[in-house]
Amino acid sequence: MGLNTPALAYDAFLVQLLSSLALFAIIAVLCLQIPPIMVWVERRGPAMMQRRKGPNRVGLFQWRFYGLLQSLADAIKLIWKEEVVPTGANKPFYHIAPIFAVFPAFMIACAIPWGADITVFGHQIPLSVIHLDVGFLFIFAISSLAVYAVTLAGWASNNKYALLGSLRASAQMISYEIPLGLSLIPIVLIFGTLDLNQIVLAQGAFPWQWGIIKAPVSFIIFLVCMFAETNRAPFDLAEGESEIIAGFHTEFTSTKFAAFFLAEYVSMFVLSCLAATVFFGGWQAPFVPHDFLVKTFAGFEWVASLIGAGVLFLKAAFFMWLYVWVRWTLPRFRYDQLMGLGWKFMIPLGLANIFVTTLVCAFIYFK
Amino acid sequence: MGQITIFYILAFLATACSLLVISSKNPVTSAIYLVCDLFILAGIYASLQAEFVAAIQIIVYTGAVVVLFVFVIMLLNLAPNEQSSLGLKLPDIGFTLLTVLSFLIVTVLLVNEQSSVSGGALGPPEAIAQLGGNTRAVGMTLFTKFVWPFELASFLILAAIIGAVHIAKKDPKPADKAYGNLKASNREKAIYGSP
Repeated sequence: MGLNTPALAYDAFLVQLLSSLALFAIIAVLCLQIPPIMVWVERRGPAMMQRRKGPNRVGLFQWRFYGLLQSLADAIKLIWKEEVVPTGANKPFYHIAPIFAVFPAFMIACAIPWGADITVFGHQIPLSVIHLDVGFLFIFAISSLAVYAVTLAGWASNNKYALLGSLRASAQMISYEIPLGLSLIPIVLIFGTLDLNQIVLAQGAFPWQWGIIKAPVSFIIFLVCMFAETNRAPFDLAEGESEIIAGFHTEFTSTKFAAFFLAEYVSMFVLSCLAATVFFGGWQAPFVPHDFLVKTFAGFEWVASLIGAGVLFLKAAFFMWLYVWVRWTLPRFRYDQLMGLGWKFMIPLGLANIFVTTLVCAFIYFK
Repeated sequence: MGQITIFYILAFLATACSLLVISSKNPVTSAIYLVCDLFILAGIYASLQAEFVAAIQIIVYTGAVVVLFVFVIMLLNLAPNEQSSLGLKLPDIGFTLLTVLSFLIVTVLLVNEQSSVSGGALGPPEAIAQLGGNTRAVGMTLFTKFVWPFELASFLILAAIIGAVHIAKKDPKPADKAYGNLKASNREKAIYGSP
């Protein structure tokens, strides 16, 4: 950040640095809360769909909190479990793979704009930890590193099922990264910027100005690739438990397993945030323009930004629910079907989408 | 200044990683050090305010090319005696000296050429900002000044892709031949069994 703005004075740099660190701490703590809550949603949600009760026992004295404390109990159990390193495992890579898994998920969370710029001690601070004018490319760059965690985890644990799972997962992630990238190019063409905050601002507060209306095909491709990238149902072949036990994390126990768990849920959350940012107006509240909020809270502009963060969180929560909804609705794909869908349908559709969008942009939008 | 200090740190790390790539015994370790090396190179690009090139470096090299290397190495699963075939070790003094020397030469050259480094093909940072950011500047240069080399390069890549597909394409599988006279839907049933 300091590198991009060499003319910045020392105190301005200090404020930037401290606020970035504070923001990172907030986002990291927030992301750590995602898995426990999502585990609860993922057990109570299908229970609701299938007319069961789901976990509802664990509570504090006479209060049950709808079984929410079950997640806490699960987390405690997970952390205190004995850690077993398999014989013949490649130790350094076995230990480093969970770190490789968590790192990209948190890095991408840093690039999401959480609200309008706020003013701290007279300095304008963007509400994203890493503020780049190539934010889009940064997200793709970092998310392409997630493959290494999966590959190394499967290879290093010296287990055939784990290796099979890791090969499946990495082939799937590499394949679906391409249509994911292609689906977002029309957005860049329409809004003319790679800066995520600029894209949010360009969309405006009204739903007919949002990316989903301007690039509906992109949204469909993005949605499908979102599920495939995070190895979630119906594309969860990487951990198809009926075939290969649990895939690449079969041999991981205790905190290491928890790290993979965390990485999966955080990357789901981050992709949900990205979908909301790109296609659903980001932190802009629907039908309530940001200027109006700023006027209402004159003198306390940070309240408007805080509302923006809340709105983005709610929009992302919808996609998180969609993940659960789809998981308990659609059956798992066969592997050749998955690859066929990716290479023979999604990629040509993405290219055609770019072509049409380019024509529309060149002859209608910018005419 | 700050920028040059960051460059020194990154350059040192990149050299160390490159050394480790060729001195590690395990090919997977080598590949992972190569990943680190390419990642640090992206850091050097970023410190020269070429964010676009940095991001593309990570997407193309770190995220795609080396993944394929890792795949191949893992699937070949080299036996332990094959693994040390390179036979290089870090304390190989002559070799280390050579690398350090070449590193120094490059650094000195770079420090001397600092003005041209900060300038580059796109011009000074102010000119890039005026063009509307790094990505736009690169795009404009590629499609105006260097349009013919760019198109030629993409043509070359297209030829390579077609070549790769041609080489990878094998004769139809025996199973396909045996069931070739059946209809497509029946053939699938005959091979995979009815669902």
